[in-house]
Amino acid sequence: MKLLVVEDEALLRHHLSSRLGEQGHVVDAVATAEEALYRAAEYNHDLAVVDLGLPGMSGLDLIRQLRSQDKRFPILILTARGNWQDKVEGLAAGADDYVVKPFQFEELEARLNALLRRACGFTQATISAGPLVLDLNRKQAHVDGQPLALTAFEYRILEYLMRHQQQVVAKERLSEQLYPDDEERDPNVIEVLVGRLRRKLEAHLTFKPIETVRGQGYLFTERCR
Amino acid sequence: MKWLRARRRTSLRVRLMIFTAVLAVLCILAVLAAVRGAFVIALEQSIQKRLASEANALITLARLEDRRLLMPDKLPDEKFNTLEAKLLGFIYDAEGDLLWQSRSSLDESVDYRPQFAGPEPGFTRGRDAAGDEFFIYDLKRMHLRGQDVALSVVTMQPASDYEAMYSGFMEQLYLWLGLTLLVLLGLLWFGLTWGFRSLRGVSVELDAVEAGTRASLSEDHPSELLRLTDSLNRLLESERQQRERYRHSLDDLAHSLKTPLAVLQSVAEVIATEPHNREQALVLQQHIERMSQQIGYQLQRASLRRSGLVRHSVRLGPLLDTLCAALDKVYRDKQVSVQRDFAAEQHLPMERGALLELLGNLLENSYRLCLGRIRVSVTRQGRVLELRVDDDGPGVPADQRARILRRGERLDAQHPGQGIGTAVVKDIIESYGGELLLDASDLGGACFRVRLSD
Repeated sequence: MKLLVVEDEALLRHHLSSRLGEQGHVVDAVATAEEALYRAAEYNHDLAVVDLGLPGMSGLDLIRQLRSQDKRFPILILTARGNWQDKVEGLAAGADDYVVKPFQFEELEARLNALLRRACGFTQATISAGPLVLDLNRKQAHVDGQPLALTAFEYRILEYLMRHQQQVVAKERLSEQLYPDDEERDPNVIEVLVGRLRRKLEAHLTFKPIETVRGQGYLFTERCR
Repeated sequence: MKWLRARRRTSLRVRLMIFTAVLAVLCILAVLAAVRGAFVIALEQSIQKRLASEANALITLARLEDRRLLMPDKLPDEKFNTLEAKLLGFIYDAEGDLLWQSRSSLDESVDYRPQFAGPEPGFTRGRDAAGDEFFIYDLKRMHLRGQDVALSVVTMQPASDYEAMYSGFMEQLYLWLGLTLLVLLGLLWFGLTWGFRSLRGVSVELDAVEAGTRASLSEDHPSELLRLTDSLNRLLESERQQRERYRHSLDDLAHSLKTPLAVLQSVAEVIATEPHNREQALVLQQHIERMSQQIGYQLQRASLRRSGLVRHSVRLGPLLDTLCAALDKVYRDKQVSVQRDFAAEQHLPMERGALLELLGNLLENSYRLCLGRIRVSVTRQGRVLELRVDDDGPGVPADQRARILRRGERLDAQHPGQGIGTAVVKDIIESYGGELLLDASDLGGACFRVRLSD
């Protein structure tokens, strides 16, 4: 998933960025609300983590601006005070959940995953399409209970396509999920990865879940739950 | 003591009214006594003059023949001649023996014997056998028509002849003084109401300030009160600014302390990934957690101190809606139903921020632990308001209820939370002189009861 992290404290931002990266997310980590607005306008994010106590434009104003620009991704707020006035204001401005500083990374991750699941209409920690089951916590795919050997990139592509089932996902969008920087993105790499993923899936499944929509991208055809 | 306490609560206007009314009644009573006294004196003087003149008239009619007193059979004044007319005339010698009496006195026997020796008695009073009072005038005569005599001429008149006049006068006096008193009291009440209307205006504005519907007092007051209202406005403004500064300082402090703690927490997590550092990292994390709890608790406590001047009252319904909207978002998957069991206009005697923290912490607890049902209710027992938050969660075992109310206690370690929520709730309630109780709910879970004095 592509995440936007807005935190002015450099060390904490770095920690969040690296830990979330380790969890298989592509992280856009910025220090100010202005930079966050720019990134949100340029890229498609799946979730934002916003610190309320930002210098300059506050975290609350940033959330309001993002919502006014019709950005619908879930927003998790980080609050230092942890009082209800801040939480209520943050949630009313458009945030979806909050975590009070200091937090354990596991707590943040749990909240974040719950928001991501909910954003795609899933309430469980697994997504299944027939015999194919994705364990979102363990980042592991299974077919009929047997683990499927996927690389991290292949898993991310599969998870993204399954989360956005029945929707055409552009190659650029998939590319953003894998690489944080523009210069690393190459549509040919996506084609190669999707091709490999298809072969692995079709070796175990009786159906072909990933379709190519010419000139537009890829479509996960099976209904997921 | 009760009477004393009740008297302390009596309004200034009623006190002044009672005092001035008592003063007015005393003045009217004094005027009544003085006028009545003056009337009685004037009446007696006029009676005395009349009886003296009647006595003089009697003696002018007397003649002496061979030293015997002779009086005409019929006196010119008819009142001496008939029994019905009660003007009595008597003439006594020096020894007090009756020489003559008028016809009108034949059926009367007033207990009076003149004493010729000694000073002239003049005007006095006496009673007849029936106990009726008479005015008596006793005149001594030493000479009569050029001859030496020793006579006492006594005229009498019953007091009852003047009673009608006296009672008529007193009736008029009571009537007019009573009317005067009523008019005076009415004018006093009007004057005091008019005078105190400006004080009442200040009081109404203060109520509005206390209720939070206006920020300061207006300048539309009499000059005597302007100094007071100006001072109060300055006090209100300074308190507001101080609270604002205080809140910003606490915000800054929270941010500047907790963000570094979050950094330390992340560093500790990185250290913990090395197996040989795990023990030290655990100690570090425990201490970070303790520091964080203490900072969070003390900051929340400091920010929720009770305002000294403004008496707050918050409508529960809208505040609960705000909190439920926020929590419904966080616990969207649970689809929690919150039952509201209180009047639409139900107010609670607390500051908005304090009630938001109190109810936010209690509700978050219930949202986190419930299966799907929460009930918020308010009941009143005399002057005590009880706010209850019930849920259908697992509840708290009876032997652990006292422990969960202790500061920083956290029994639901498997759920995320800061662990200071209940302690903050307890502190807020205690700062308002209330108490927090924890019971079992009829919904099956926990029931937090907040008891506040109205």
